[in-house]
This record gives sequence, structure tokens and C-alpha cells, in this order.
Amino acid sequence: MDELDETQLKNHVDSLKQQLQYNREKTSISLPELTKWIEEKMNEDPFLNPDVLKENPWVESSKCVII
Amino acid sequence: MGEMEQMKKEAEALKTQIEAARKAACDTDMASAASGVAPAPRVQLKTRRTLKGHLAKIYAMHWSTDNKLMVSASQDGKLLIWDSHSGNKVNAVPLKSSWVMTCAYAPSGNLVASGGLDNMCTVYNLKTPVIKTVKELDAHTGYLSCARFLSDTEILTSSGDTTCALWDLETGKQKTVFLNHVGDCMCLALSPDMNSFVSGACDSLAKLWDIRDGQCKQTFQGHTSDINAISFYPSGNAIITGSDDCTCKMYDLRADQEVIGYQDAALNSGVTSLALSVSGRLVFAGYDDFNCNIWDSLKGEKVGVLSGHDNRVSCTGVPVDGMCVCTGSWDSFLKIWN
Repeated sequence: MDELDETQLKNHVDSLKQQLQYNREKTSISLPELTKWIEEKMNEDPFLNPDVLKENPWVESSKCVII
Repeated sequence: MGEMEQMKKEAEALKTQIEAARKAACDTDMASAASGVAPAPRVQLKTRRTLKGHLAKIYAMHWSTDNKLMVSASQDGKLLIWDSHSGNKVNAVPLKSSWVMTCAYAPSGNLVASGGLDNMCTVYNLKTPVIKTVKELDAHTGYLSCARFLSDTEILTSSGDTTCALWDLETGKQKTVFLNHVGDCMCLALSPDMNSFVSGACDSLAKLWDIRDGQCKQTFQGHTSDINAISFYPSGNAIITGSDDCTCKMYDLRADQEVIGYQDAALNSGVTSLALSVSGRLVFAGYDDFNCNIWDSLKGEKVGVLSGHDNRVSCTGVPVDGMCVCTGSWDSFLKIWN
């Protein structure tokens, strides 16, 4: 904060007043919801559900054919 | 007491009140909330492609939304556009300044951008018969650390001048300047709904901004050194940061606080970059010690490591479909893993 001039410091204080007003949710609500969201999405996650990675664009799905 | 002293005292008092409000909102921790979740399995990935072509350190990479093409930037003075499936180079864009620090692919696939110690963000059109520079965005007074397109007409930048900016690509001018950091801004990430973004800076803080009104809505502390990497969780309600203090942290946006950290006593290298898997369960974090560690975001445990680079991992990226992770390194190579 030492590098700020008067205007910047005033803006900083105003911003902190605004940030204090933020309506904080309790972690007992937000964390279980976040956990649930991630868990539900894990089915679609190629790193966690091998079925999704069956069609792997970087792995040859068929053998090479000599023409 | 002088005005300045008065305001400094007021700022400290407000910060104390914010901390108290956070404590009041913290009635459970991540360990408890995730206690019913099975730990993530060990993740062992194979290198599927090694992309060779750059002649110097790679500083940045970014996937196209088509999940196939990607752009990389190197201090050899080039942007390379790669077809990651074949491993072929599709395009090479020579840069006016070789001191590049960031690159970005527009969601449309039409444009790419780069910037660095030239303090400018240069935007190129890939779809004209010959690649053309369409704009040089010149207003930052410090290096360009990161750029991200919102569309073909708007781009966000973060700079060593401690500001972030939203630019209109038709006029080439800054529409909004985001002022609040007191250290170099090192990274930024757009929210999934595109209404806000987060920035990480050398003041060891991450900040959440409203793109339209330009205001800093929330500030996240806890790191003890520069924040080099930042990302939104796909749910939009949490962010993850990576720092020179060798740790990554998850901040819950709704509770306005840090909820879990990713660190290891054995790790004493800074985090340079990070990317999340599509569910957000896995965090791919690149480190100065040449590795990319894979963390279980809910349990805070390391579940894998990507070893193969011969120098610092400087950038990581997971495409929109989540089918792989790309790492880029100072060893001049990019690797695709899954």
C-alpha cells in the first residue's frame, strides 16, 4: 500500500468497503454443492472414465495397412 | 494524523472485518465436505505426441475450441499453429518481438494473439490467404503476461503494469481498465459464463472482476509469493491458483475464501502453469522442476506425475473436450498426454 498515491489509496479503501459487502455463503452449503457438481461430472471426464477415452484421437484404432 | 495514514488505517480495519466475515462463513472444511467421496485413482498417462519445431524456450500455449488445433509461443520469435492429432505444423507466424510471454486462440478459430516484453498485444487473422496482423493493442506500460479472447471483437489482457484491460478489437482501444492489484499481473482466466474474470499477480493476490462494470468484486489471499497461474473451475464457483510459493490453492467464490491447498514438503519448485480436467477433479500443475504434477482437487493428494521434459514446464492446457493434456516446456517441446 506504500506505493499508492492519495487517489489510488482512496479507491483502494472504497473497493475494500464494496468487497466487505459481499454476501458470503456458508462453506457447509457451498462445499457440498461444489463436491456434488464435480462428482456428477466425473462420468464425462476422459481421465476418470476410460469409456470416454475409447475413441482416442491420438491412438491408432486399427492396424496399419501396407498398400 | 495525515489523510494517507488515516486511509491506511481504514484499509487495515476493513481487511480485518473481511477476514472476520470469512471466518463466520467457514463452518466446515473441504476434508469434511468431501469425506464421502472416494479418492481419485492413480493417473498414469502416456506421451502420445511430442511436437518438435520451436528452436527456443516455449512460454505459452492455448488450445483452439475445435479440440484439435493449438497455438504455441516461443522466444525463437514464432507462434506455431499445430494440428495436435497429426503433430504437423499448420501455420507459423513470425513475431515482430521475440520476447513473447503469452498466446491465445480466439473461440472462433479465426484469430490468434501474442504479447510479451514489447508491452503490446498483437492480433493476427489466420483465415486470410496470408496471415495478417489485424491490430496492435498498445497502451499497457508494462509487459503483456496473458491474453484471452472473449470473441473476435473483444480481448482481455493482463500486464506487468499491474492492470488488466478489456479491448475493443475494432477500434484497437481499451474499453475498460481494471485497477486494484499492486504488483505485476501475471495471469488471467475467464469465467465459464464470460461475465467475470480472475487475475493473479505478484502481490500474491487473486482478484475477481466484473467485466462490464470494471470493479474488483473479491480478493483472495493466502499465497506468499507471485501467482503465476490461475483457472476457473468448470462449475464457475471456484478458482485455482498456482504460485512461486510452490503451492496451488482452491478458493471458493461463494464463501470468499481458500478451502484447500495442494502442496508437498518435498516440492520446492514454483508452479508455472495449471489446467483442470473437464470435471475439475484433476489439476495438472506445471512446475519449475521439469515435472507436471496431477492433484486430486477434492482430497488434496498427488495422484500422478508427467515426467518427460528436460526443462521447466512453462505451460499446460486441456482442450474443451478434456481428451488430453498438453504441456509446453523451456526444452522447446510440447507433449500431448492421455
